Amino acid sequence: MLTQVSLSIPAGQRVLLAGPSGAGKSTLLRAMAGLLLTADQGDFSGQVLLDGDDVAETPGRVGLLQQDPLAGVVAETVGRDVAFGLENLSVQRDEIWRRVAGVLAATAFPYPSGHPTAALSGGETQRLALAGSLVLGAEVLLLDEPTSMLDVSSAQVVRDAVRRETVHRGTTLVVVEHHLGPWLDFADRLVVLGRGGRIVADGRPDEVLRRERTTLASEGVWVPGLPAPEPNRIDEGVVEPWPLEPFTSTGVRLGNTGGAAIVTASGIQVRRQAHLTGGRGTQIIALDDVDAALHRGRTLGVTGASGSGKSTLIAVLAGLLEPNSGDVMCAEHLGPLRRRRREPRPWKWRSAELAARLAWVPQMAESGVVSSTVFDEVMATSRAVGRGEGSDVARTHRRADAILETLGLSHLRDASPYHLSGGEQRRLMVAAALVHGPHGLLLDEPTVGQDRATWAAVVGCIASAQSAGAAAGLASHDLEAVTALDADPLRLEHGRIG
Amino acid sequence: MSSPGPLSLLAACLLPVLGAFAVDSARVGLWGVGVELVALGWLARDPRRSVKLLAFGILAAISIFVSTYLYGGRHLDESAAAALRIVYIVLPAALLTPVIQPAELGDHLAQRLHLPSRPVVAAVVALQRIESIGEQWRQVQQARRARGLGPDNGVVRRFTGLASTAFAVLVVSMRHTASTAVAMDARGFAAATQRTWAGPAPWGWSDSIVLGLGIGLSLFPWFLFPWFF
Repeated sequence: MLTQVSLSIPAGQRVLLAGPSGAGKSTLLRAMAGLLLTADQGDFSGQVLLDGDDVAETPGRVGLLQQDPLAGVVAETVGRDVAFGLENLSVQRDEIWRRVAGVLAATAFPYPSGHPTAALSGGETQRLALAGSLVLGAEVLLLDEPTSMLDVSSAQVVRDAVRRETVHRGTTLVVVEHHLGPWLDFADRLVVLGRGGRIVADGRPDEVLRRERTTLASEGVWVPGLPAPEPNRIDEGVVEPWPLEPFTSTGVRLGNTGGAAIVTASGIQVRRQAHLTGGRGTQIIALDDVDAALHRGRTLGVTGASGSGKSTLIAVLAGLLEPNSGDVMCAEHLGPLRRRRREPRPWKWRSAELAARLAWVPQMAESGVVSSTVFDEVMATSRAVGRGEGSDVARTHRRADAILETLGLSHLRDASPYHLSGGEQRRLMVAAALVHGPHGLLLDEPTVGQDRATWAAVVGCIASAQSAGAAAGLASHDLEAVTALDADPLRLEHGRIG
Repeated sequence: MSSPGPLSLLAACLLPVLGAFAVDSARVGLWGVGVELVALGWLARDPRRSVKLLAFGILAAISIFVSTYLYGGRHLDESAAAALRIVYIVLPAALLTPVIQPAELGDHLAQRLHLPSRPVVAAVVALQRIESIGEQWRQVQQARRARGLGPDNGVVRRFTGLASTAFAVLVVSMRHTASTAVAMDARGFAAATQRTWAGPAPWGWSDSIVLGLGIGLSLFPWFLFPWFF
C-alpha cells in the first residue's frame, strides 16, 4: 500500500497531503496517529516518532479526524459527543462545557448541545467530528478530507475555524485534500503521494505547484487554476437503459419519449423523528412542499447546505422513502403491472421492479455493499432482476467489464469491497448502479473523494447514461459536477425549495 | 422534585426479580403486577417503547403458560402463576429501561459506584451503538431494496432476505466498531486511565423513593402480600 515513505515534519508546520484516490493517504494518516494497528490488517514496518518517542506510546498528543465521520460518533447528544475527548484528558466539568460551547460557536455549529446526534445529516456529522477533534487542542492534528461532504460556504466556515483554532496554538497540521485551492494560503508545505504509495513531490506549495504542475495533474491532484477535466465519456451502448420486458413484447419503445418526466414528485413533505432515550426527541421536517422531476436525457442537480434535505429528496425519488404527504409518481408506461393497471408510486414497487427501473448510489457507500467481491458487487442487481442469465449474460458481462475499466476498478475485480479506499468504494457503488441499465439514476454525492481522473470517469459515466436515454438525479455540493452535467438546478434550503 | 437518576431506576428494574420467586399463585401474581404498575407506572416516559418491550415479555409468559399447562398436569392456577412470575420480572424493565440514558448511566456508574472508567465508557458507547443499529438496519435495507435484493417475494425470499440483511448489518457494525475504536483512541481514550465526566451524578430524594419502591416490590410477594391478606 505505502512503500518507503519517509517524512519529517517540524513542529507547527501545516502540511497539505494530496494524491490520487487509493494511493494510501488515509493509511498514512492513521500511521502518523499511531493507530494503524487498531483497525487495519496487513504488515507494517518502520516507525513514527513524535519528538523522538514512538507515537503509539504517546497517545493524546495527536488528534485524528477520520474520513467516515459516522463511525466517530460516540454519544447520543451533540454536547456529550464533543465533550468525549475532554473527559479523557481529565478536564474539569465547568471547563468542559465552556470549551464545548466555545468550539460549537467557533465552528458555527447550527444546533445546541442537547441536539440528538442521530438527527444530523452526513455533512453535519462531519462538522461535529471536526469540532470533537478541534476542542482537544492537540499538538498535532491530522484531518482526512475534513470538508468532503460540505457545501462551499460551510466548508469555508470549517476552514476558518481550523485556522483560528490552530494558528495561535502553533498546532502541527496535516490535511488530506483533493482540492488544494482553498487550503493553499494556509499551508507551509505540500506533499504528494503518487500511485503506488510513494512520495512524488514535496516542498513549499507555490514551488511544488510551479515545478511539478503537470506531474500533479497527471497524478490526479486538483491543481488550482486548472479547469475541471472533460468528463471521460464511455460507450453509450454499455450504459443505456435496459428495455423493460412488457414493452419489448408490445412494441412500445422507451426511446420515443425524449425529454419526458419519468418520475415526478409534487408537494412532498417528509418528517422524521429523532429519538433520544426517555421519550424525548425532536421532530425534523426534512422536506416540505417540494416539487421535483427526473427527465429523460437530463440531470436534476440538487444542491444546498448540509442538512437541507438533499439526501432525503434523492431517496424519495429513488422509491426508497414514502413521503408523509404529497405524491411521487412515475410516467405511465414505466409502472409495473398490477392486475389490470400500472402501479405509479415507486415506493410501492417490489424490490426487483424498483431495481430494474431506478438505481441509487448511497451517500454512505459502505452501507451499500451487498457482495464479497467487486465483480459480484456490480453483477448483483443484474442477477436479481434476471439479466444475469441466458443470452443476457454476455451483454451484462461486457457492460460490467467496460464500466469497471472506465472507473479504474478492473484491477480490483476480485478484491473485497470492504478493502477499497473511500473513493474507490464510492466508484464501485456508481458502477453497481449502472451495469443493469436502470432508467433513472439517483446519486447521493457520487464525486466525494475523487481525484481529477476518477472524477472525470464518474461524471463521464453519468453523462453517457444520460445521453443514452436515462434520467439522472444528483445530490451534490460539487458545483463543477453539476455544471459539467448541465444539470437542471434545484436548490434546497431547510427542506424547502430555495 | 427532580427526576430519578439511572442507578435507582436500574435497581427498581432488578430488585423485583427477587420477589418473583414468591409468586406462587395467580392471586399473588395478579396483585403483584397491579402493585408494580401503580408503583412504577408514573415513572415511564416512553409508552411506545415500553409497550414494545412488554410485548416480548407477554409472549414469553404466554408460552410458559401454555407449556406449563399442557405438560405440568393441567393446573390452571399453577400455570398462571408461572406466567405472571415472568410478567412480574419483565414489567419494571419495560417501564423503566427506556428512561435510562446511556451517558447518564455511565456518569453514575463511574462517579457514584466508582466502577473503573474504561469498561464503563466502553459499555456506554456500546449501548449508544445499539441505538444506531436500528438506523444501520434501515440503511442496509434501503440499499438492498434499491439493488433488487429486498425481501418481498414470497416467504422464503423474505426469510433469506432477513438473514442477509442481518449479516450485512453485522459486517457494517463490525467495520464501524474498528473505526469507532480508532476515533475514540484519536480523542485520547487510549491514554485515559484517569478521566473526568461531563455529567454530574447526583442522588436525590426521588432516587431514594424509587429505590424504596424497588425494595418494596422485592418484598411484596414474600411478606407484604401475606400480611395484607
